[in-house]
Amino acid sequence: MPNIIVLIGRVLDPSGIVFNRRAGRLFVNREEYLLQPADRCALEAALRIKEAGRPKESPSAEVVALPRTLLPDDDVLRQAVATGADRAIYLAGQVANADDALMARVLAAVVERLGGADLVLTGATTLDTGQGQLGPRLAEALGWPQIVDVWHVEAADGRVRAVRKGKDGFVAVEADLPAVVTVLPGVLKPRYPDGARLINVYRGVKEMANALEQWDVADLVEAQALKPLVERRGQEFPAERERGARVSGTPAQMAQTVAEALRQRVRR
Amino acid sequence: MADMSYLDLLMAQQEEVSEAEGGGGGIWVVADVVDGAVAPVTLEALGAARTLAGALGAYVYGVVLGEDVADLSATLYQAGADGVRVADHPALAQFALEPYLKVLSDLFEAEKPEVILFGATPAGQELAARLAQRMGGGLIEHVTSASLDESTRTVQGAFPIYGGEYFEVVACPEARPQFLTVEPGAFSAPFLDPYRKGEPKMLEVEPGEPAVRVVGPAGGFEPLAVPLAQAPVIVAAGRQAGDFELVKQLAARLGAQVAGDRGARDAGWIGAEQIVDVRGVTVAPQVYVAVGIRGDTFHNAAMEGARFIVAIHPDPTAPIFQVADLCLEAEPKDVLPALLEALG
Amino acid sequence: MDFTFSPEHVALRRMIREFAETEVAPIAAEIDREHKVPHDVLHKLGQIGLLGVCFPQEYGGMGAGEAGYCILMEELGRVCTSTATNVGAHIGIGAMAIHLDGSEEQKRKYLVPLARGEKMAAFGLTESNAGSDAANIRTRAVREGDSWILDGGKVYITNGGYAHVITVMAVTDPALGARGGVTAFIVETDWPGFKVAREEDKMGIRGTSTAELVFEELRVPHENVLGKVGEGFVAFMRSLDMGRLTLGAAGLGGAQAALEWSVRWAKTRKQFGTELANKQSVQWMIANLATEIEALRSLVYRVAWMVDAHQPFTQLAAMCKMYGSEVGSRAIDVALQIHGGLGYTRDFPIERAFRDARIAEIFEGTNEIQRIVIASNIFRDYGVRIRP
Repeated sequence: MPNIIVLIGRVLDPSGIVFNRRAGRLFVNREEYLLQPADRCALEAALRIKEAGRPKESPSAEVVALPRTLLPDDDVLRQAVATGADRAIYLAGQVANADDALMARVLAAVVERLGGADLVLTGATTLDTGQGQLGPRLAEALGWPQIVDVWHVEAADGRVRAVRKGKDGFVAVEADLPAVVTVLPGVLKPRYPDGARLINVYRGVKEMANALEQWDVADLVEAQALKPLVERRGQEFPAERERGARVSGTPAQMAQTVAEALRQRVRR
Repeated sequence: MADMSYLDLLMAQQEEVSEAEGGGGGIWVVADVVDGAVAPVTLEALGAARTLAGALGAYVYGVVLGEDVADLSATLYQAGADGVRVADHPALAQFALEPYLKVLSDLFEAEKPEVILFGATPAGQELAARLAQRMGGGLIEHVTSASLDESTRTVQGAFPIYGGEYFEVVACPEARPQFLTVEPGAFSAPFLDPYRKGEPKMLEVEPGEPAVRVVGPAGGFEPLAVPLAQAPVIVAAGRQAGDFELVKQLAARLGAQVAGDRGARDAGWIGAEQIVDVRGVTVAPQVYVAVGIRGDTFHNAAMEGARFIVAIHPDPTAPIFQVADLCLEAEPKDVLPALLEALG
Repeated sequence: MDFTFSPEHVALRRMIREFAETEVAPIAAEIDREHKVPHDVLHKLGQIGLLGVCFPQEYGGMGAGEAGYCILMEELGRVCTSTATNVGAHIGIGAMAIHLDGSEEQKRKYLVPLARGEKMAAFGLTESNAGSDAANIRTRAVREGDSWILDGGKVYITNGGYAHVITVMAVTDPALGARGGVTAFIVETDWPGFKVAREEDKMGIRGTSTAELVFEELRVPHENVLGKVGEGFVAFMRSLDMGRLTLGAAGLGGAQAALEWSVRWAKTRKQFGTELANKQSVQWMIANLATEIEALRSLVYRVAWMVDAHQPFTQLAAMCKMYGSEVGSRAIDVALQIHGGLGYTRDFPIERAFRDARIAEIFEGTNEIQRIVIASNIFRDYGVRIRP
């Protein structure tokens, strides 16, 4: 029974944070966490693939949610199960500052130990750090092909088919399963959790009693693999915003200045 | 331009770049090729590489993959590369992950770079992440500035958080190679020295098979509509916008959504659901271009959260200029055509 | 004392808030302007189980208790009073009556589809001569074999124009009056003899159906008697008690919205060279309002806890309704004052919220009745029986 694995992470809601450029510090006024928007799209894509059924395989796939990083609690995973994932595995471990390289090794071990998965879906980028390396790193660790930055994904008949954006518009691509696919944020409307399911997941009762498991990372990889490769060295804040700066020159010169500023900031 | 012909004479000696033997180490830049030329981000990466190399006392190398790309090595030398490798093969004509990955993997296993830079392009991002995992290196993506921790020969890369609210500085102190993807436009392109030349080393390559097949254009695929309140780039017109067609062209060029103030609605240019106003839609885009909008309180309060605001209006006392980052006191009809041309 | 919400309620609130902001808030102005019931939104709420939020899972509900129901009403009240009212009438009095007093068969037949949102409910008590004086109803139910024939009518019935199932109070023994002479009936609105006579054109909550109903020889099978014959009054009192608490929660949500709007405008709007937020008069308005909201919040959720803990709550539920409706009105009044002329225009949500808030002091038992309930309970604790 081929499973679909979804990697889910969380991010501090930026609307609860004040970024003070003058003080060079950020102040968290309201500590609230969102699910990574791109990961929510990945979960939605996984649920749709499961619901579409996969001909030639009689029982339907199970969607298993894994954490994108080592989390202090399993709330993210409970949300994933409430939304429709069949199971989730919480990863416990005393590892400080786990980075994507480390998580790729750990998650590859989880996927292998779970067995029976032939598709991993996760978000193409994170809202806060803007890093998209986890999906490809995991694909490399598993030795699977990858399709990144997709707008749409389907899986059937041992193949995964996706839509990506090329230079001249949207392009359909495909690869043989097993594969890792990363989904862009905002491309699918994520569903709301079913109410009764949500209550039962959080209470850990009825059909949701065994939906969450806990595994220890120390059981999955050897100790030296639990060392992160990158470390944080600090924060830099941009200069304070100067509103009202006049652009001088002829219209053509003004246009040049504006064009440069826009090119820096607008990615096509 | 002043007459520089005497300088030409001085510099007419060609600088022939040759590599030291014994290899190993160095700062490598994997080139992006766009429309048969070296992409601007590759040149910017080379500029960054030269700066790092100076402090580290290391060499800068470039590598180009593709078909019929040997000539592109000249540009890399001009931009400061001390050595260039070229992988020229029909299977590399278009970017595909596995073929490119195999070439680079074999190359870097042999060369053992200290630092490898990629452009933060779709291809660069895919390659960097997989290569970093394969070779056990750390990767910093979307780097906008870099500094050096000389004692440990570690590159400290800064990248934007929450789309640029601040920058996190991260480094990979022990694992080698260090991988970075460089954000286009963040570093300045180096001066291309036309007298700097070198002989690239052609690589013997056996590219792997691509695992992802292109099926064709995704005809009929309709992406989910993004509501105006969440649009990342907005071009908004006001009563003084002049030719609304130009406004629409600018929006199309930037991939932006079109909006406006109440004046634009009255002029019949936009629908009621496109009005940026506390009584209409509140927006918070990365970029907001206000064309001919005077900017009363109710409009400005609904777009103040935009991260970067450009305003074009003929009246110097227009209130929009109090909130805009770049203020153009001009007629939109004079500026917009020039702007469209400058954007290309 | 643990004042934290349980994890499932925190998760529930997060889900409902997202739903409210994404699905309900965008249509709030339109349903008010066009006097439409938001059937699409009600359907979506039903699909994720929210229309049965407090009912047991065995009957198709969500099992989130009164606390869950208060959270739903608060979050809906925060974005659209009309939607909250539709939901409140469906869950809190319509389906609630069947949950509290229904037989097993009645629950299976009616509560399950109501909890799942497959059918909608209403509660038919009020008549033109019987508002606060509910005992004065005249709708008559006469036994005929194995059915009852109902004649009469109801007014101001929320959801009355579209509900599938209405719990109707009728007089079965005029001599006994409220004590033993009133019976509750579960009526299906597509039965012959049931008619929606007209819809009221209201000041506010214009996204709701407030209907006048007429019963002309409406035949109701005996198995649809809810509870015991003659004990309808007891049944309805219990339903209204529950409904009061959640109306307070909806008022809380509306007040919270008023506070948020006020703070946002006060920090944006500049007059005399500085933001309104820097003016002491505005600061005090906001401080007073925020304090009342916190007091109301504590009251509402404490009472929700008492309901879920099966403790008596009549007096406190009446306080929730009374205080919640008055705080709601005060809050939107402050918000209107802070927004000035902008708040008075129809392009901005304040004027709609202002019109919407006022009804809360009137329906579901006027605040005068609530005060009588509270006073009666207090004096009774001291051994005195007061006559209202």
